[in-house]
Amino acid sequence: MSRRKPFIQSAAVLLVLALVLAACGSNKDKEPSAADPAQSANTTNTESASTSTAVQGGELTYALATSPDSLDPHRSGLAVAVRVIRTIYDSLVVQLPDNTIKPWLATSWTVSDDGKSYTFKLRQDVKFQDGTPFNAEAVKYSYDRILDPATKAANAVALIAPYESSEIIDDYTIKLNLSTPSRAFLGNLSQALLGIVSPTAAKKYGDQFGLNPVGSGPFKFVKWNQNADIEVERNPDYNWAPETVDNKGTPYLDGITFKIIPEEATRIGSVQSGQVLAAETVPPQNIVALKDDKKIQLLGANTVGLPYTLFFNEERPPWNDAKARQAVQLAVDVDSIVKTLYLGTYERAWSPLSPGTFGYDSSLENGVKPDLEKANALLDELGWVKGADGIREKDGKKLTIHYVDGTPNREKRNDIAVIIQQQLKAVGISVEVEITKDVRTVVNTNGAYDIYGNSQVNSDPNALYAFYHTPAPNGKKTLSRLSDPAIDKLLEQGLVEKDDAKRADIYKQIQHYLIDQAVILPIYVFPYTVAADRSVQGIVFDTLGYPIFNSASIKK
Amino acid sequence: MAGVLARRLFSSVLVIVGSLILVFAILYVLPGDPTDTIVDPSIATPEMVANLRHQLGVDQPFYIQFARYFSHMLRGDFGQSLMNSESVLGKILDSFPATLALTAASSFVAVTVGLVLGVLSAIHRNRPIDLIARVVGLFGISMPTFWSGILLIVLLSLKLGWFPAMGSDGWRTLVLPAIALGLVGAGFIVRMVRSSMLDIIDEHFILTLRSKGLTERAVMYKHALRNALIPAITMIGMLVGEMLAGTVVIETVFSRQGIGRIIADALMAKDLPVVQGVIFFSAFVYVIVNTLVDLSYTFIDPRVRRST
Amino acid sequence: MREAVTASTVWRRGGSRRLFTFRLRRLAAADSFLIGAGIIIAFIIACALVPSLIAPYSPTAMLTDSIMQAPSSAHLFGTDYFGRDIFSVVVYGSRDSLFIGFASVIVGGLAGGAIGAIAGYAGGWVDSLLMRCNDILMTIPGILLALAIAGALGKGLFNIVLAVAVSSIPGYARIMRAQIISIKGRTFIAASRSVGATPFHIFWKHVLPNALSPLLVMAAIGVGTAILTGSGLSFLGLGVLREIPDWGTLLSQGRGYLTVAWWICTFPGLAITLFVLAVNIIGDRMRDRLDPKKNAKG
Repeated sequence: MSRRKPFIQSAAVLLVLALVLAACGSNKDKEPSAADPAQSANTTNTESASTSTAVQGGELTYALATSPDSLDPHRSGLAVAVRVIRTIYDSLVVQLPDNTIKPWLATSWTVSDDGKSYTFKLRQDVKFQDGTPFNAEAVKYSYDRILDPATKAANAVALIAPYESSEIIDDYTIKLNLSTPSRAFLGNLSQALLGIVSPTAAKKYGDQFGLNPVGSGPFKFVKWNQNADIEVERNPDYNWAPETVDNKGTPYLDGITFKIIPEEATRIGSVQSGQVLAAETVPPQNIVALKDDKKIQLLGANTVGLPYTLFFNEERPPWNDAKARQAVQLAVDVDSIVKTLYLGTYERAWSPLSPGTFGYDSSLENGVKPDLEKANALLDELGWVKGADGIREKDGKKLTIHYVDGTPNREKRNDIAVIIQQQLKAVGISVEVEITKDVRTVVNTNGAYDIYGNSQVNSDPNALYAFYHTPAPNGKKTLSRLSDPAIDKLLEQGLVEKDDAKRADIYKQIQHYLIDQAVILPIYVFPYTVAADRSVQGIVFDTLGYPIFNSASIKK
Repeated sequence: MAGVLARRLFSSVLVIVGSLILVFAILYVLPGDPTDTIVDPSIATPEMVANLRHQLGVDQPFYIQFARYFSHMLRGDFGQSLMNSESVLGKILDSFPATLALTAASSFVAVTVGLVLGVLSAIHRNRPIDLIARVVGLFGISMPTFWSGILLIVLLSLKLGWFPAMGSDGWRTLVLPAIALGLVGAGFIVRMVRSSMLDIIDEHFILTLRSKGLTERAVMYKHALRNALIPAITMIGMLVGEMLAGTVVIETVFSRQGIGRIIADALMAKDLPVVQGVIFFSAFVYVIVNTLVDLSYTFIDPRVRRST
Repeated sequence: MREAVTASTVWRRGGSRRLFTFRLRRLAAADSFLIGAGIIIAFIIACALVPSLIAPYSPTAMLTDSIMQAPSSAHLFGTDYFGRDIFSVVVYGSRDSLFIGFASVIVGGLAGGAIGAIAGYAGGWVDSLLMRCNDILMTIPGILLALAIAGALGKGLFNIVLAVAVSSIPGYARIMRAQIISIKGRTFIAASRSVGATPFHIFWKHVLPNALSPLLVMAAIGVGTAILTGSGLSFLGLGVLREIPDWGTLLSQGRGYLTVAWWICTFPGLAITLFVLAVNIIGDRMRDRLDPKKNAKG
C-alpha cells in the first residue's frame, strides 16, 4: 500500500493542476488573431448611433477604471472624473469634431480686435439642478472661483489661462477679459473642467462641493459611495443640449450608475457576465477577443491633442545632438511596438499632434521608417564604437539612454520601454529603464532622464507650447527641454494667429521640425474604448473622446 | 488587577501614538507630493503647485503638519482628505462594514474548510482524501491571492456565471472574495488541525481510553477533535489580522469598498490625514483585540500575569 | 465489532509492533511529499544558478511575429505578448524571485531574531521597549508596511527586499523572544549560571543554539511568504521592472491576459505556487523533526 502513495500524491497534484488549467483554458477558440491592423476599435465608432426611436427609461451601469478624485470640475485632476463631471455640468460652448466652436450655454459671442476680450450672450432658459437660475453672474462666479486660491483648483487653472476677469454687461451678457490673446481660449471653455457650477450650491458646500456637485447638465448627482459607485439621475428640466447631441431634451435614461472597477479582468468580466452594461478602457487583447462576442459591442473614439510621445531631454548629451537622436528614431520600430502591444487596436502616431487636432499634418504619416543600417552609420559617424558587449563606447563612456516611465503600467507604457530596450540593443545602445512613482521629482524637477513619455488630451494645437517653447527664466521646464528661437516664434504666432489657414500652416512647420530633428518619437494615439452590452444604444463621444449619455438608451 | 489594566492601557496608548509617528515618518520620506495626484504634473506651473500646497497646508514643515494633525485628532477631529476634502472619519465609517463583512466571511470559509479538510485528513490519514485535503490546503497557502482571486472570477463568474465578479452589495458579491481570502487561512488551519489531531491520536491516553472500551467514534470526536480545536481556535485569532491585511489586495481585485483600498490609494497619493486615520483605526482594533486576548490569558492562567 | 469497522486506519489495531510499522509508513508518506518538494526546489535553484543550460531561448528575445502562442513543442509554456518564450523567461526569472525570497528572509530573520533575542534575554525595560516597538510594527499590516517602504525607497530589487524584510521583522522577533524566555527558565541554564558562566557565555553557548530551531522553521517558510509579498507589491504597482522580470512581475503583468491567453500568467503563477508549496512542505518537516510538540506559532 505504501508503494502506491507517491502515485496517488502526484495524481492529486496533477488533478489540482488540471483544474487550474481548465479554469483558464476553456476558451481556446477565442485566441486572438495576433496583430491584425485592419481590426480597429475605431471602426465601430458609429455603430451605436441608432436611428430607431430610443426607449425611455432604464438605468445604465457604466464601469470606470479608477475612482474619480472630486466631482468639482475646478478641483479635479483626473480624466476619469471628467466622464462623470461631463454628465453634471454644461459649458459655455461646444467643440465640433472639425474643431469649430458652437453655442451651448452661450448663444453667440464676439471677440475684440486685440483678441483680449470675449463677449458672450447667454441662454435665458437655463437653470441649475438646485433651481438657481443660470446667468452672467453664474459664469463670472464660476471663472473667478477657479482663480481664487481658496478653491484649491487644479488643472482648471491651467486651462483657463490667460483669463483675468469678467464684466457683467447685463443679466445675460458677459465680457471675459484676458491678459494676452489666446486662440486656444474658446476651445478650452468647451472643456468640462471649465464647466459652469451653481453659485448657490458652490457657496453652500464650500470645500465639500466636490462631494455635492450641482451644475446645469443633463444628469443630477444623487450619491457617491466611496470606491464603489457614483449615481446620477435624469435632469427632467434639461432642454439645452448642444448641437453635438441628437436628443436636445431630457435624457432617455432614468439614471447612470458609474461603478468603480480598477482591475481589468474584473471590469471586462462584469460586462460579459451582465453585472454592468458598459465598461470603459478595454485592454487591446480583450478588444480583439470581444470582437466575436455576440452579446457585446465595442465603442470608442480616438483622443485628440498630443499622442503618447517619447520626449528626448535636449539638455543631456549625447542626445542633444540631432544625429544621435535620429539614429534612435531609425532604430526604433514603432510599428512593431504598436502592433505587438496593442494588437492593431491603437493607431500609430506620426506627429507631435494626434489626428483630428487642428493643424494636424497628415503628410508626416509613413515618413519615418526603421533603418538599422543608417542608424548604425550615424552612430559610427559620431564616433561611437561597439565594445565587446555589443554596446557602443566613446572616450570610455558607454552609449546609454536613461528611460524613465511612471507607474503603474498604464496603457502598457512600461512594456514599450521593455521593447525599445531590446530594439536599441541591436544598434549598440544600452537602455536603462527606471520606473518611478515620483515622476514630478525625477522628470519635472531633476530632469534626470534621456527619454520620458507623455500624452495630453487637448482641444487645441497650442498644447505644443507647454512642451516645446523655451520656458521663462524661472518658469517650469518643458519635457523636451527644447530651446530654439525659431520654434518659440512659431509657437507664439500660433497662439494669436487669427487666420485659420495661416495658423494651420504654422503648426505644420512645427510638426515637421520636431520630427525632422527627432526631438520626439510619437508612439500611439490613445483610443477611449468602451465595451457595452448590445442593448445599450446612443452613447456618443465628444471631440476629446469623453462619453456623452444624453441620447443613450437601453433597448428592452 | 486595576494596576494591570492601567499599565495595559498606558502601553496601548503608547503603541497607537507610536504607530502614528512611524507612519508619519514613512510618509515623510515617501517621495512625491499630494499635489501630484491633484494636478497633472505636465500642465502644472510652479505657482499653481505652490499655491495648492499652501492651501492644503503641505508647504509647512512636516512636524508642524503632524503636530496640527495630532492636536486635532485628540479633539476627535480626524481631518479631511487632501484629495477632495471628504471627512476622514466618514470615509472610514462608510467603508468599514464592507471590510468587516469580508473578514468575517473569509474567516468563516477558513474555519469551515480548514476544519472539515483537517479532520478528514487526520481521520483518513495517508489515504487519498488525506492527500487531496493536504494538497488543497498547501495550494491555499502557496498561491498569490490576487491570482487565485482572478482565477475564481474567470471560472465561477465568467464561465459559470454563478456569482457576480465585483461589488460590495449583497451576500452574493461576498462569496468569491471570501473564498479567495479564506483559502489562505484554511490552508493554515488544515495543517494545524491535522497535526494536532494526529498528535493526540498517537498519544497514549487515547489508547488507554480505547482500552476502557470506548467506541472508535467517541474517541475520535470527543477527545481527539476537541483537543485539536484549541490550537486551531488560537490560530483563528491570529489569522483575522492576516485577513485584514489581505483585504488590501482582494478589495482591489473584486472592486469592493473597504478600508484596504482606501489606505492603499491614500498611501500612494500621500494623503496624510486619510493614511493616519486608517492607521489609527487599525492600530486601535489591533490593540483592543490583543489586550482582550492577553487579559483572558491572565484570567485563565495566573502564571502569565508577570510575563506580559 | 472491531472487525466491522475494519482496517480503515492502521492505528485501530493497536499493539506496539503495529504502531511501529504505522510510524514507518507515515514517515514514508511524509517523505514522498518531502522528496517531491526537494526535487522542485532543486530544479528551481538549478534554474537560478545555470539558467542558460535549461532555457531553450534567450529570455529577452522577442519573436514579434509569434506573440501569444499557446504552449507547443517549440514553446513549452507558450509565448507572451512580447513574443518571448515563457519557459525561458520563467527559468531566468527564478534568479530575482529567489533573491527576493532568500535575501529578505536573511535580512528580516537576522534583524527580527536579534531584536527578539535581546528582548527575551535582557528582560525588564529593554524587553518592554523593544516589544512595544515591535507592537507598533505589528499594528500596521505587513503588506502596507512593505508598500509604504517600497514606495519610500523607490523601485529596485534591493528596495523590494528591504521592504519585504522589514514587514517580516515583527513575526521573527516575537517567536525568538518567546523561545528565549522559555529556554532561560530551564534548569540547565540555572546550572551553568551557578558554575559561574558569564551571561554572554550562557547566551551564546546555551540559549541561542537551543532557541534557533523555530526561527529556522519560520525562515524556511518565510522564503515562500517573502515571494508572495513581493508578488503582491507587483500587483499593487510597486514591483521591479528589470530586463528579465521576476515571477511576481510576470504574473502581475500577465494577469490581464488570462481570458485570452491563459498561459501567460499561469506558468509564472504556478512557478510561485509550486516553489512556495515546496518550501512549506520542507518547513513543516523541519518543524516536525526539530520540535514535535510545537504548538501554534506566535
